[in-house]
Amino acid sequence: MDAISHHLSPLWISLATGVTATSITMIAGIAAAAWRQRRTGPLSPIIDAIFLLPLVLPPTVVGFALLLLFGRNGPLGKFLLGLGATVVFSWPATVIAAAVVSFPLMYLTSRAALDQVDPHFLQAARTLGATEWRIFRRVALPLAWPGVLAGTILSFARAMGEFGATLMLAGNIPGRTETIPIAIYFAVEADDLRAAVRWSAIEMGISFVLLAALYYWTRAAGRGVARWARS
Amino acid sequence: MKRTTAPLWLVAAVMLFSHPAIAPALARRSAPVSASEITVSAAISLKDGLDEIGKKYEGSHAGAKVVFNYGGSGTLRNQIEQGAPVDVFFSASEKDMDALNAKGMIQPGTRRNIVANTLVLIVPADRDSGIHGFADLAGAQVKTIAVGEPATVPAGMYAQQAFAALGLTAAVQGKLVLAKDVRQALTFVATSNADAGVVYSTDARTTNKVQVVATAPPSSHDPIVYPAAVLKIAHDAGAALALVTYFAADDAKAVFQKYGFTIPPN
Amino acid sequence: MGAELSMGLEVRIEMRLPDYDLRVSFQAGDAPLSILGPSAAGKTMTLRAIAGLERPSCGRIVLNGRVLFDSELRIDVPARRRRVAMLFQHYALFPHMTVAANIDFGLRALLPPERASRLERIISQTHLDGLQNRYPRELSGGEQQRVALARALVTEPEALLLDEPLSALDTHLRAQIEYELLQTFQAYRGATLLVTHNIAEAYRLGENLLVLSKGRIAAFGPKKEVFAHPASLEVARLTGCKNFSRARAIGPHEIEALDWGCRLRTVQVLPTVAAGGELRAGIRAHHISFMEAEATPAPSGAAAMPPENIFPAWLVRSSEAPFGVTLYLRLHAPSAGSPEYHLQAEVSQSDWRRMQDRPQPWQVSLPADSVFVMGE
Repeated sequence: MDAISHHLSPLWISLATGVTATSITMIAGIAAAAWRQRRTGPLSPIIDAIFLLPLVLPPTVVGFALLLLFGRNGPLGKFLLGLGATVVFSWPATVIAAAVVSFPLMYLTSRAALDQVDPHFLQAARTLGATEWRIFRRVALPLAWPGVLAGTILSFARAMGEFGATLMLAGNIPGRTETIPIAIYFAVEADDLRAAVRWSAIEMGISFVLLAALYYWTRAAGRGVARWARS
Repeated sequence: MKRTTAPLWLVAAVMLFSHPAIAPALARRSAPVSASEITVSAAISLKDGLDEIGKKYEGSHAGAKVVFNYGGSGTLRNQIEQGAPVDVFFSASEKDMDALNAKGMIQPGTRRNIVANTLVLIVPADRDSGIHGFADLAGAQVKTIAVGEPATVPAGMYAQQAFAALGLTAAVQGKLVLAKDVRQALTFVATSNADAGVVYSTDARTTNKVQVVATAPPSSHDPIVYPAAVLKIAHDAGAALALVTYFAADDAKAVFQKYGFTIPPN
Repeated sequence: MGAELSMGLEVRIEMRLPDYDLRVSFQAGDAPLSILGPSAAGKTMTLRAIAGLERPSCGRIVLNGRVLFDSELRIDVPARRRRVAMLFQHYALFPHMTVAANIDFGLRALLPPERASRLERIISQTHLDGLQNRYPRELSGGEQQRVALARALVTEPEALLLDEPLSALDTHLRAQIEYELLQTFQAYRGATLLVTHNIAEAYRLGENLLVLSKGRIAAFGPKKEVFAHPASLEVARLTGCKNFSRARAIGPHEIEALDWGCRLRTVQVLPTVAAGGELRAGIRAHHISFMEAEATPAPSGAAAMPPENIFPAWLVRSSEAPFGVTLYLRLHAPSAGSPEYHLQAEVSQSDWRRMQDRPQPWQVSLPADSVFVMGE
């Protein structure tokens, strides 16, 4: 095996997975939050529970559920097989696992951020002739942005740290699905503590950078607009 | 917006301690053990045979209780090194036993080779994969090959040696799905998620969802022998040694052979 | 366009609310309509129903011949298509947009040249020049209100609704903004409704008045009419009348005020009541006047009645406010230590200074044309 690429690839795989998964989660989370804000019905608590399930369940259970879904005999797996694609043991599986476990975080923070936008702004926009989509894009989302941004950063952090579900669905394939957390786990198992410490340090470095970004961005954004809006 | 006031250091501490590499290490604790129990950490490929042998032993030795802890040999070795309260180690490779010996953790004079095994190439039984031998693994239709993780799973190490001997190392690059023990590799193939896998012949026999297509030439890898030994930390060395001796005795041999193991020449 | 506008706004709606049911029916044309009432009377709800932000349980709303809402025909035009602009109590200016962007927000459907010219025009009309690139948080209260008004008017709506337009302003600004609003109302051609709990504001800003109480209309008509001839005790109270007495009719223009212990001549024709029904007399605090010269005090309960309802009064206590003085008076007999009073009168500070040292009893006059008589 090419020693160098084997050494670096968990970092690239983790970053690629993290960025891709968070992009998907961001859109899905905001959309779900906006949809749930608009429609409340008798099924609401059930829908909320389903959205939050990946947060509450152990990652191995989530991984198992995804395996059932995307495996050769699973509904989605069969469908994709017909299109000539397999998910299990592929890089897209790392993205799916990471996106699913980080979705609840994005959904929750987006919901909270959208809920605290003063409804009077939205009503004023309505009387001025704006469509609901325009109101969302130009009024609700910008005013909720600090919270949404925080949710995105948290989701990215969660996606970077995802292990249990990823191992189940994507497996450990060096150069393809071996993310940093998986590399750390197997390094510890193989008694290669030097590698374990090295990868842990890299992972923690990324986490600290994310947290610092979260801290400063939300302070700066929150200070100006949102706080005055509630004065 | 209600700004969360959790300070940075607290959040960092939470992330640190829930990290996948740190948390399991912290979670390892010694389990309580009763005086007459003998704890055996054994390679998972021995599972079916040992379960039966264990019951036989308890049946013929009143008051004895045998507890098996199965896993990849590398993982088991790691646990023992970290101080797990194990009485007997029954490994799938000499390498792991040698490592413990080098650390002075083996009771001298108690080590013996019990059984031997062969390495086979398997494919899912439910489809026609066009794989008839190791050489076919280089083909484009083979996308995933399940093997044990070489550093911790002896079966993976043997597989790696076989690939090297057959000149396939470069060809299988990027296709290997690394499992935490040989049974997991077997499951990957049995569920048809992997296109092929390399496991012991004894593992392949446990399920009809896989099909053996080839056996690795014995010369392509280190001899697959399973040594057992009593550990110095065993709380009742006498009882432990009696168990190891029983593993090598005729009754146990018959069971092992029933499951496909061979008996190495002493 | 002229013929359409003269049709105005017609509202007839019912809404089931947690504390009460709202049921209103009225029309509004070019002349501004003030909706006056205590808090939680349904005033803001009515505005929101017209704007399309709340849905009535049943009813009909028509603006210039266009049906905005009709529960029987299942018509409910969404707010964005009603062409009804609303000025919210706290303005609801988009905090993340500049003044220009705020005002421009409703002009999306127009072509850029039209947008730019309308924007320019409204900014100079509302005296917002130079503030286009400021953010709402950088503006004073008065400036914010002007921006909110500009944002509403620039879309050339067919109806303009204002929710408590002056209540968010500091007191010293109100007069100035009131003046600007009146200018705006003059220039604006379309139904104008404003909602307020402040009696003076309602009177000054509107031409017609609708008094709302507990979800029902208590009075509706030209403001002078409603104030001068309140139809009921409640309307009188809600329009600020402070002096009431139970009364009994004696003649076509004569009543006996039972709580005040005197007989009064009235100009107003007495309302007909069912046999045994009670009347109520009322007079506003600032209509009570004090005679300069000494006049013969009328003996209480005597058959002869003074021409201008003049009675002797003693002061129970006085209350000085920055811009006037309230006098609590007792008729016919001195107060003798008890805090009870018959009438509240309001006089200017200069009048008070002149009066306060005069010997009591003072002669107070309840002018016949200021006395109103109501059924219960």
